[in-house]
Amino acid sequence: MKRTLCRVFSAVSLLGLPALAGAAETSVDSTTILRIEQRDNGAHKDTLLPATEFLSLDATRLADGNLSFHFYGWGRVDLVDKSFNEDRAAGSLSYGYLQYRFKQANGDIRLGRQFIHDGINNEQIDGLSLHSDLPYGFGISAFGGANVHTTHIFGENSDGKGDGIGGGRINYRYGGMLELGASAVYESKAPTLLQHTNGNHRLVGGDVWFSPHKVLEVLGHTTYNTETSHIAEHSYLLNLKPVQRLVLSGEFNEQNDRSYQYSWAMFSGTTSPAAHGPLASSGNTSRNYGGRASYQVAKLVELSGDYKHYQRAIGHANRYGGDLKMGFSDNQIRAGASYHYLDAGPGFAITPNPSGSYHEMRAWGMYDSKSFTGAVDFINYLFKERVFNEKQAWEVVGSLGYHLTPQLFLSGDVSYGRNPDFSEETRGLIRLTYNTTFSTAGGKK
Amino acid sequence: MTTMKALSTALALAASALTIAACAQMKALPSLPESHPEALAVGQQVECSECHEDQQKGTLKNINAFSHTRAFVKNHRFYAATDTRLCETCHKVSFCADCHTNQVEMKPSVKWGNRPDREMPHRGDYLTLHKIEGKVDPASCYRCHGRGNNERCVQCHH
Repeated sequence: MKRTLCRVFSAVSLLGLPALAGAAETSVDSTTILRIEQRDNGAHKDTLLPATEFLSLDATRLADGNLSFHFYGWGRVDLVDKSFNEDRAAGSLSYGYLQYRFKQANGDIRLGRQFIHDGINNEQIDGLSLHSDLPYGFGISAFGGANVHTTHIFGENSDGKGDGIGGGRINYRYGGMLELGASAVYESKAPTLLQHTNGNHRLVGGDVWFSPHKVLEVLGHTTYNTETSHIAEHSYLLNLKPVQRLVLSGEFNEQNDRSYQYSWAMFSGTTSPAAHGPLASSGNTSRNYGGRASYQVAKLVELSGDYKHYQRAIGHANRYGGDLKMGFSDNQIRAGASYHYLDAGPGFAITPNPSGSYHEMRAWGMYDSKSFTGAVDFINYLFKERVFNEKQAWEVVGSLGYHLTPQLFLSGDVSYGRNPDFSEETRGLIRLTYNTTFSTAGGKK
Repeated sequence: MTTMKALSTALALAASALTIAACAQMKALPSLPESHPEALAVGQQVECSECHEDQQKGTLKNINAFSHTRAFVKNHRFYAATDTRLCETCHKVSFCADCHTNQVEMKPSVKWGNRPDREMPHRGDYLTLHKIEGKVDPASCYRCHGRGNNERCVQCHH
């Protein structure tokens, strides 16, 4: 049943293709990436040459001008040895849907494979979604269809998700200072797994945005798991903008591990909990809170500092640091640097280390003109305790690119690094990007 | 289960009542534009308040809230959850799908190795790092990987 539904909806989403010929505006983004890699594990040497095509297509103003078609997916072929799993080829349709936008009330209908990001809902479905604003500040949205199944969990015949899914959100907005939302998701019964304990994905929740003055903003959501009859998550953000260029943020997040990750088959619990990950002993609470100060020194220069404290049953951790991002020459030259330190005790460490602490340092720069581009990116993780006898993991990536035409861009990356898994790691990549928009408006990125 | 059914019924009834009452006035409500009327440069930090002084039509929120400061980029999930349609006036959905997609062929930072200015997750040797970060803040993993049960994850986590 689920396969039939998936095929039907995928087929429906492709019905839009013939109409593209008459599209008033069409945008095509194609990125072809050829990766070059050699792996030698001592027993045998593999040469990996996977070619991956990412294709995005947006055809708008079809039919009466309000219909559009949107597609994005990727496909890979291994030109030499297998790069991943047992297949020499793989692919995925991320989304492919027809959309009809109404000229009033932000109304729209979407049919096909699509992502749902609405209130507490974050899903990928093959189905139908609808949205509309309503008078007096109200709004409504709903979705329903078949879940998009991904991969089988090891030893199972399923990814642990139910076949059907539906949900929606109603909201109320008041005069530029308040939005309240209530949303819910209901998934059909999750399959019974052989080696994992899985739960049904059924949540309700509320969200809020409150800004009594433009200098103050509070937003966030709370979710409740109706299967465990317990609050799953609180997640809230406070923003203060006392002067135009300064943003002060405070964040609070709290999850009940069992209720929040109840439908995550890989970690929600297994028949042999001792062998499986940090979340198997669920029922604990994860809490973190912190702050960030971000100051725009000049139009293209921004400096920020941040701190976050983490609390879990296995211990406490602190992370603090800062970053700087700069732009010059009308943003043709961009650069940045950052430093963070995670102070984490033995509960968070990689076994059998006594500490999970590490420094993270990054510096990057790039040049981006209409004719060519260049970029260098260096990142280093310096461990407080050696991981597999390595004190650090670092990687440097260099990239050069040239615009063959305004639409056609050829670039290549080379990366080199050392880390606990590989004494040396060298990778190469060639990227051919084709972006064209047959459009008269500003368009999208 | 009973609670869920009661809540669903209540939500459905409330939605139906609102819909019927509102139909007559729908035409007075504006829609966001399909796309931003002026081209925005790639890699540009967008300061919405440079041009927009008043509230954004259709959202009734102060446009200043959506300026792409460092803080906004770090916390964009809060805004995307309630204002996806506003995001879509400037960004294609594929822009989001560079990171937020259930089946990932390669790390976003590898796909966009020529764009170190973009905020991409898991740069460098995250294979090692995730053994620490997954214990520090498992919810941050779940937000992207939880419902996907990704193929890459099940290689080891089974």
